[in-house]
Amino acid sequence: MPGVKEYTTPHKPTWCPGCGNFGMWEALKRALSQLDLDFHEYSVVWGIGCHGNGADFLRTQGFHALHGRALPVASALSLTRPDLKVIVEMGDGDGYGLGMGHFVHSLRRNIDMTCIAHNNQIYGLTTGQASPTTEHLMRTVSTPGGVLETPVNPLGLALAQGATFVARGFAGDIPHLTELYKQAIQHKGFALVDVFQPCVTWNKLNTFSWFRERVYKLEDRAHDPTDLQAAFELSLTTFHEMTCTPEECRVPIGIFYRDDESPTYNQDATGAQEPGHRRAEKPRDISDLIASLG
Amino acid sequence: MAQHDPDAVEVCIKIGGPAGFGIKAAGQTLARLFTQAGYETFDLTEYPSLIKGGHNNYHLRVSSEEIFSHVEPVDVLVALDRDSVVLHLDELTEGAAIIYDPGDFDMSEIDGIPETVCSVPIPLKEIVYEAGGIPIMRNTAALGAVLGHIGFPLDYLTGSIEQQFAHKVPEIAEQNIACATVGYEHARDHDCAFPYEMAPREREGDRILVDGNEAAGVAALAAGIGLYCAYPMTPASSLLHFFAKHGEKYGVVVKHTEDEIAAMNMVVGGAFGGTRSMCAASGGGFALMVEAFGLAGVSESAVVVGLFTRPGPATGMPTWTEQSDVRFAIHAAQGEFPRVVLAPGDREDAFHLTWQAFNLADVLQTPVIILGDTYLSDNRQSIPPFDTSSLEIDRGELITEGDVEEYARYRVTDSGVSPRAIPGVKGAEQIVNSYEHDEHGYGSQGEDADVRISQNEKRMRKMELARKLVPGPAYYGPDDADVSILVFGSTKMPVREAMKWLARECVSVNLMQVVTLWPFPAEEVSAFLGRAKRTAIIEGNFTGQLQGLVREHCLLDVDHTLHRYDGRPFSPEQVCRFVKEVLA
Repeated sequence: MPGVKEYTTPHKPTWCPGCGNFGMWEALKRALSQLDLDFHEYSVVWGIGCHGNGADFLRTQGFHALHGRALPVASALSLTRPDLKVIVEMGDGDGYGLGMGHFVHSLRRNIDMTCIAHNNQIYGLTTGQASPTTEHLMRTVSTPGGVLETPVNPLGLALAQGATFVARGFAGDIPHLTELYKQAIQHKGFALVDVFQPCVTWNKLNTFSWFRERVYKLEDRAHDPTDLQAAFELSLTTFHEMTCTPEECRVPIGIFYRDDESPTYNQDATGAQEPGHRRAEKPRDISDLIASLG
Repeated sequence: MAQHDPDAVEVCIKIGGPAGFGIKAAGQTLARLFTQAGYETFDLTEYPSLIKGGHNNYHLRVSSEEIFSHVEPVDVLVALDRDSVVLHLDELTEGAAIIYDPGDFDMSEIDGIPETVCSVPIPLKEIVYEAGGIPIMRNTAALGAVLGHIGFPLDYLTGSIEQQFAHKVPEIAEQNIACATVGYEHARDHDCAFPYEMAPREREGDRILVDGNEAAGVAALAAGIGLYCAYPMTPASSLLHFFAKHGEKYGVVVKHTEDEIAAMNMVVGGAFGGTRSMCAASGGGFALMVEAFGLAGVSESAVVVGLFTRPGPATGMPTWTEQSDVRFAIHAAQGEFPRVVLAPGDREDAFHLTWQAFNLADVLQTPVIILGDTYLSDNRQSIPPFDTSSLEIDRGELITEGDVEEYARYRVTDSGVSPRAIPGVKGAEQIVNSYEHDEHGYGSQGEDADVRISQNEKRMRKMELARKLVPGPAYYGPDDADVSILVFGSTKMPVREAMKWLARECVSVNLMQVVTLWPFPAEEVSAFLGRAKRTAIIEGNFTGQLQGLVREHCLLDVDHTLHRYDGRPFSPEQVCRFVKEVLA
């Protein structure tokens, strides 16, 4: 089993000191190590944003894709490479803003991959604009009068759209997050882990201490993760008033929902049963097809 | 009659009517039947972008000799509505016939029908009613009437019907055959003379009937494609249907994606995993793909992109043809990166350039565009079966198994090509990156000025390698010609046809088809134009995009140009008129 430290690269993280991405990075390294995944057995695809800079810090055979487009790149990799574990890392602006279309369609496909969302409820790399998950009425450089929109509810969308593994983590609880990652990576089908990871530079509302006062673990409660209705109701508790007290708004973390029975897209797609490069080892015999044209 | 070759037996049949009448399917039955009977065929479908109503037509050219394109005239018009007569009246040749149902409209009310044109009323609906069939079977009765009119044996049609409906209840074939037979007899009984009897003939060699998209599809399958992604858009959609139909049997992942952005990003992901991957769209869809097309360039991804064009901008004229996206293909995406743009001119080209595109993409590790258009994508021609003997797979410097040591995905090399080890190969740690990056792919190192220079130059060096690998221009006609014509893409077809006709009038024309538009073959084009008596460019756009490339890369211009941008392909008649004007 490679040790946790072996999952690093020669490059040291450039995130702001205290950034939530550190906790997510650490948890993923631990999960990969504990799952005993060698460096050629998984591939990570990143979008663009602060989270994406993590591509340089995690040892993998990976792909740093376009802003908002990590999911289609990873979907294709999953469908053409059944021998690889595919993991997507995306941001809230990246995956729930520009890439929202891909997100919704990925959910309904149940392609076998793990989607980790770095949800800091703000645009970090582009210096502090409102993101799709920024709280209603929060002031940012792009919304000086406050955000007038309702935040995206990624977990609710995932549940409504048929995702088969829906979880939320908190970057401030690395052991708990590691466990979520392990279960998501082992899950057969599309696994969403939305992670609250406070942006210490631009989001002065949803801070580590804000979350610490509010998060609670679902496994400590009597939540049944096979109960879709209960999961859906939990997802609605994402929304709160900016001024809410810790007692008023509670933030559940853990596995909201899982369905280990539904078939994956990969299983149902005939072409996806073999690595794609094996299809091109020699020219296909298409003589029957040519003769049938007309 | 329409024929230009005095030794040929040739007839042109047009079926016109509203959308939703099964006109293309009926026409293709005729094409199949004449091809089986030893003739060459070339069809041209015109249809508006709607499902019911409007005006559709299908033109079929049938000839005993080799043909290269469609033609304008019509010898037999099957008019399933009044519009079909009015719209195509001026295409009718002397002695042409109009087959129609007198229950649909009154022919005597239509002005301007020449006396030499013969009306052949056939009670199509009544025939279907008598046979106990359904309305669509009137097409079969009309096809029977066409064969009756030209004196062609009916059994080719009845055989084709039996084959077509073999898997259905026997009544369907029986009713269709009854309709065809009665339609045939009606036309035979009519006193409208057809100048000669069309009879089945012997022909050397087999024929297949294929359109440009089918040609590209079979080539991609032969080349080992493992992933095809697309969003429906005319005229590329039929390639999606082709892969959807055959992908399962041949082990291809075929995905109709949520949009073209996903399609292009998916093929980049597929290529990353080592899979031969392709997407296709028309200009509007390619516009959405452009950012990820650039991603393929900087990440050095081996992808093949079909760009099958129609009149733009924006939604434009969805079902029509145009050649106005040359510059778009060559310049698409921000920044600079190597690419190859191949422009097939006919179905043989579409086949051979498509499998070559996969090899070029792999060897160069960069995107390759196959630039076609509606005229080529949509229309079928009878051609000899594709010769697959030259087809080979060259995946370039690709490592798919085992392990590598001290691996660097973007190692700087003399050729610009870095050995590519796919995920799953031990030791192949890498970040394939949309950011500028160092040799290992690390984006954080890519902003160093020296790293940027070395990676940018490494990529652009592949363009030099591309120049050595890409197919050169194709030449047709005599070296010493009165007029030398430069074209790209499907314009090759009507020009080759026109050259045949002009040669009979002792007008000699030679043709250079620019097969690889990028990298532009400046040396060959300069030599061709340099030794010509008179030069001309024929291209299906307004601004002269090929002409612009000639000016830019050859520092030369041509004497004459012919443009077309009305959504229709050039016809050989138009090319002949142009050449004669040039020489006048």
